[in-house]
Amino acid sequence: MMNLTKQIREQAKKLLEEKKVDLVIGFGQGTELARTTPVFIDSPEGVSALTWGPFCANNLAKYLVDYKNAPGNVAIVVKGCDSRSVIRLLDDNQISRDKIVVIGVPCAGQLEWQKVADEVKPDATLKETVDNGDSFVVKTSTGDHTFNKKDYMLHRCLVCENPNPVIADFTIGEELPVKNYAERFAEVEELEQLGLEEKSAYWDKQFSRCLRCYACRNVCSVCTCELCVFDQMKPMWVSKRTNLSENTVFHITRAFHVAGRCVDCGECDRVCPMDIPIRKLNQKIHKDLKDLFDSPTPGSKEGLLSALGEFSLGDPEEFM
Amino acid sequence: MAKRIGLFICWCGSNIGGVVDVPRVVEETKNYPGVAFATDYKYMCSEPGQNLIISKVKEHNLDRVVVASCTPMLHEPTFRKAIARAGLNPYMFDMANIREQCSWVHSNDKEAATQKAIALVKRALAKVSQVEPLFESSIPITKKALVVGAGIAGIQVALDIADSGHEVILLERESTIGGNMVKLDKTFPTMDCSACISTPKMVQAAQHPNITIMTYAELVDVQGYIGNFEITIKQKARYVDHTICTGCGLCTEKCPTKVLSSFELGMGKRKAIYIEFPQAVPNKPVIDPDNCRYLKNGKCGICKKLCPVGAVDFEQKDELIEEKVGAIVIATGYDLIKWEEIYGEYGYGRFKDVITGLQFERLVNASGPTNGLIQRPSDGKEPKTVVFIKCVGSRDEAKAKEYCSRACCMYTAKHAHQVIEKIEGGHAYIFYMDVRTPGKAYDEFYRRTVDEGAQYIRGRVSKIYQSGDKLVVMGADTLLGSAVHIEADLVVLATAMVPTEGSEKIAQLAGVNIDKDGFFIEAHPKLRPVETMTGGVFLAGACQGPKDIPDTVSQASGAAAKVAALLSNEEMATDPMICHIDEKMCSGCLVCKEVCPYKAISEKTITERIAGQPVERMVASVNTGLCQGCGNCTVACRAGAANLKGYTNLQLLSEVDALCR
Repeated sequence: MMNLTKQIREQAKKLLEEKKVDLVIGFGQGTELARTTPVFIDSPEGVSALTWGPFCANNLAKYLVDYKNAPGNVAIVVKGCDSRSVIRLLDDNQISRDKIVVIGVPCAGQLEWQKVADEVKPDATLKETVDNGDSFVVKTSTGDHTFNKKDYMLHRCLVCENPNPVIADFTIGEELPVKNYAERFAEVEELEQLGLEEKSAYWDKQFSRCLRCYACRNVCSVCTCELCVFDQMKPMWVSKRTNLSENTVFHITRAFHVAGRCVDCGECDRVCPMDIPIRKLNQKIHKDLKDLFDSPTPGSKEGLLSALGEFSLGDPEEFM
Repeated sequence: MAKRIGLFICWCGSNIGGVVDVPRVVEETKNYPGVAFATDYKYMCSEPGQNLIISKVKEHNLDRVVVASCTPMLHEPTFRKAIARAGLNPYMFDMANIREQCSWVHSNDKEAATQKAIALVKRALAKVSQVEPLFESSIPITKKALVVGAGIAGIQVALDIADSGHEVILLERESTIGGNMVKLDKTFPTMDCSACISTPKMVQAAQHPNITIMTYAELVDVQGYIGNFEITIKQKARYVDHTICTGCGLCTEKCPTKVLSSFELGMGKRKAIYIEFPQAVPNKPVIDPDNCRYLKNGKCGICKKLCPVGAVDFEQKDELIEEKVGAIVIATGYDLIKWEEIYGEYGYGRFKDVITGLQFERLVNASGPTNGLIQRPSDGKEPKTVVFIKCVGSRDEAKAKEYCSRACCMYTAKHAHQVIEKIEGGHAYIFYMDVRTPGKAYDEFYRRTVDEGAQYIRGRVSKIYQSGDKLVVMGADTLLGSAVHIEADLVVLATAMVPTEGSEKIAQLAGVNIDKDGFFIEAHPKLRPVETMTGGVFLAGACQGPKDIPDTVSQASGAAAKVAALLSNEEMATDPMICHIDEKMCSGCLVCKEVCPYKAISEKTITERIAGQPVERMVASVNTGLCQGCGNCTVACRAGAANLKGYTNLQLLSEVDALCR
């Protein structure tokens, strides 16, 4: 993975030197071994801050929206899942294509940092990570650790649809094969088996924990409203109170606001401090859209209309 | 300033008062926040009732009004006008429907009806607390109409609009106007010759100073809105300059290429340079580029050599013509269902002597391919036994269309009559499901055919097969409960009417909806049958549903009256209840543009100050002429930046809150 990091840095350096872009958004080593932080690089000298490995779970695409109206061009480092966000942002007119340069990196999966942190010494520093196919070897200052992917990888990575970016001006490294994409709805299917009351009880248990911190919304690359409905005061769509009823309205509304546009990057799940399985709600909608309309995952192709953003005279109105 | 609501609750005589406890509704709602005055009255819509509202608005300085009475469909305009007379903006108003939704549907439960009335009144009060004045604006009107399709419907519409003093473009994709009606022989029930009554109308249209006929031309684009459409028409290359052609016919006479004529429904031939039929309007030829030897191979050119005025022009190209019109009438008519692709039992079109009713019209027509002699297509012999099969494709849920094509019962009776009248020793057998004759002098006509000896057999045909030079028709007589075998010389199918090919594209261009069978949908099946949900677009004839000639012509005149009424104004008021985009809230994703059925939304660039700096960004913008206030965009807009004036998110949520309390 050292090699990929080197190539990303070189590409970023070249773009900045040639003034093709004014800024490169990428992953940088975090304060802990198993975490990265977004870095914003505006000079060729700064590219050494860029890194790559199995700890780059963040979807950086949403940062592009911050530069929507700023002068100059922006380059961004994306994984396959993140690249779907880029396409969706383009289709939602939130960024313009000629303003961005996409550096795509085929991704072998991302590890759950908590699980890794549990096993390495807190003062260890990262030397190198190696992808061995079924596992990652993490070499640290206090010794080497092998993490097999099946147990340590984020679930979304195990059933990844696009290990290779679907949009990229430059691709770093070799393309990777798609593996267990067919099993992506296994968890949703399990939930579908429950009875109505069991389902309701399941979600009540989840939603009652919600703090309404809005981290899921803030990280979401398709939440790009100028003023989110949950922040509006007039009309007040949802009360600011934190209780099961209001929380439920929040989550259902959010799911429908991203329905047909959610790119299934799984960031909402990852950032939730209360471990609410938010992605399952989105995935249920993905599954229904797939079953009913044969819709591809939003963002997997350019120019797809969102399922709730299409008007067709030929639409059958069987429910009317 | 505090809101001052006036609440007026109507008894509607005993209609409401007999079930709903009206005084109790007043009692329970008069203290709702903002209500400055509340009362009840026997008939609020009556003159004294309206005067009561007006005087109380003035007396109590009311700034908005709720009337609880019947459906707003009935009296919303009445009460809006009343409060306007009292000096208020007519949109500072809401209605609670306590008749249809309370007293009528809950007449057996007075308590529940009263409770519901109280809830609905509170809902209206919550809504009216949030309303804002709305203002109509006016847009100019282009005093010209476009009629798409020049069959009998289109011709009638054009003539009637033109007679009312407005200009009309009569558009036809074929090389002549006239449509299907000119192909017919006689017309039921009076048996007048179809050409004799329709060709004078064609000439009348051609000579009318207000009508511009554009044949061999198609509608390719429609932009704009009621009163202000911008249309693009493609004039297909005719390869004959009609401005100099005299219509002498020398070219068509000498052209060496013969092909099947679509006007004769494949039963006669025409040349590659042709006039569809002798009374065509315009009576000038066009060249069929698919069959012309010169256009295909660069050899021949006889027509060009012979033309005495040099009108043949092989270099002619398709031309795009732009026009502005204020109204559009769609009169695209019908085709017959492609029965050959559906009905294996009738031979999938394999048997030459199984023809459609329209083909029979050509056979029996004096100007048709047989000069009016009924000769069967296979060997030209006169058929003695003719079998008619009705409902081929109509009323057949399993294989084709559910609907009844309406004209077939009558034209089949006419055909049977013609067989008996014209063929010596001729027999007519008619397989039918029902005989439907709901029209003036229609049943009398059908009776006459039966009396003349036409044999009606109630049942369906299961198979037709060739046996020697006969067609054996196997069917069932369900009244006798027995099988029927008829050795026929000719079989005529009464095939279903379907919307003409390409009508779906016209629907898309004009922004009009079509039903599951492809027919255009009217704004209201009973009360607005010639209008569409798109302002300024009207319907006439069989494009809206199967129709016979009398119904088509009546509907055409109806559509023309609507157009004439529209075009008689210099400008028109627009409905203020349309979409409004809150630009500071709009993120410019334009999902609203995608879901707008009226193409009313486009993008526009605005300049905003962000952190003290001017920043340009894109937002959605509504064309107030095009928007019909359907609300699709308000549903699609996640941020709530798109709002329907008069039904804003805030107003709707207030209503919901009031109902849930």
